Amino acid sequence: MDYGRIFALSAAGMQLERTRLEVAAMNLAYAHSPQHPSNPGYQPLRVVSRAAFAGLVETGEVAPPIGSVEAAPVAVRLVQEPGHPLADEQGFVAYPGVDPATEMVSLMTALRSYEANVAALNTARALALKTLEIGRGG
Amino acid sequence: MEAITALGPQDEVPGLPSPAMAGPGAGSLSFGRMVSEGLQALDTQLKTSQADLQHLALGEAQNLHEVMIRLEESRIALQLALQVRNRVLEAYQDVMKMQV
Repeated sequence: MDYGRIFALSAAGMQLERTRLEVAAMNLAYAHSPQHPSNPGYQPLRVVSRAAFAGLVETGEVAPPIGSVEAAPVAVRLVQEPGHPLADEQGFVAYPGVDPATEMVSLMTALRSYEANVAALNTARALALKTLEIGRGG
Repeated sequence: MEAITALGPQDEVPGLPSPAMAGPGAGSLSFGRMVSEGLQALDTQLKTSQADLQHLALGEAQNLHEVMIRLEESRIALQLALQVRNRVLEAYQDVMKMQV
């Protein structure tokens, strides 16, 4: 079915935005977990889209690996907390360099973009159902 | 009348195996087969979306949007089958009402 292509495209877009949401949630969840001084610990992640949407248009199938999740090279955030069990000699505790503002913005972007994909899919669906009304109740 | 008989061979659906190749009397059979194959494809699609719903209820679904998209696809396929049925039924009733 030719509408299948549009559905596959929107599904791929939704998949990508969902990955973005997952990554942002993961970053936010790790934001306040201190790292052991000897351990490298958690690096904030980011989604890099390597989508081949044009290929989807041709084949009409959903290709699951759309974006890759990569670690962002962000320095750790050092917080002065003397007496903390994980503090180093100077009393600094290392937290992952997660920027909450960036994560909130990427959450909102993911939400809006997901909504846009749903809107495109709903339009295609409405079009298909409207097409089936051709010739009904002349 | 000749014009009508000249039109005769053209009432086959293009792109399908011609009834002559499928043996005598296969013209009506091939339409029936077409319908039953279409119904079978629709049935498979509906069963797939039902299985998707079961996975969803069991919490095994990988992602929600693909379940919803398959549901919508099967809804459209069902609507299409219904429309085809309506047209066929209308044509049948028109033929039955014909005064010969």
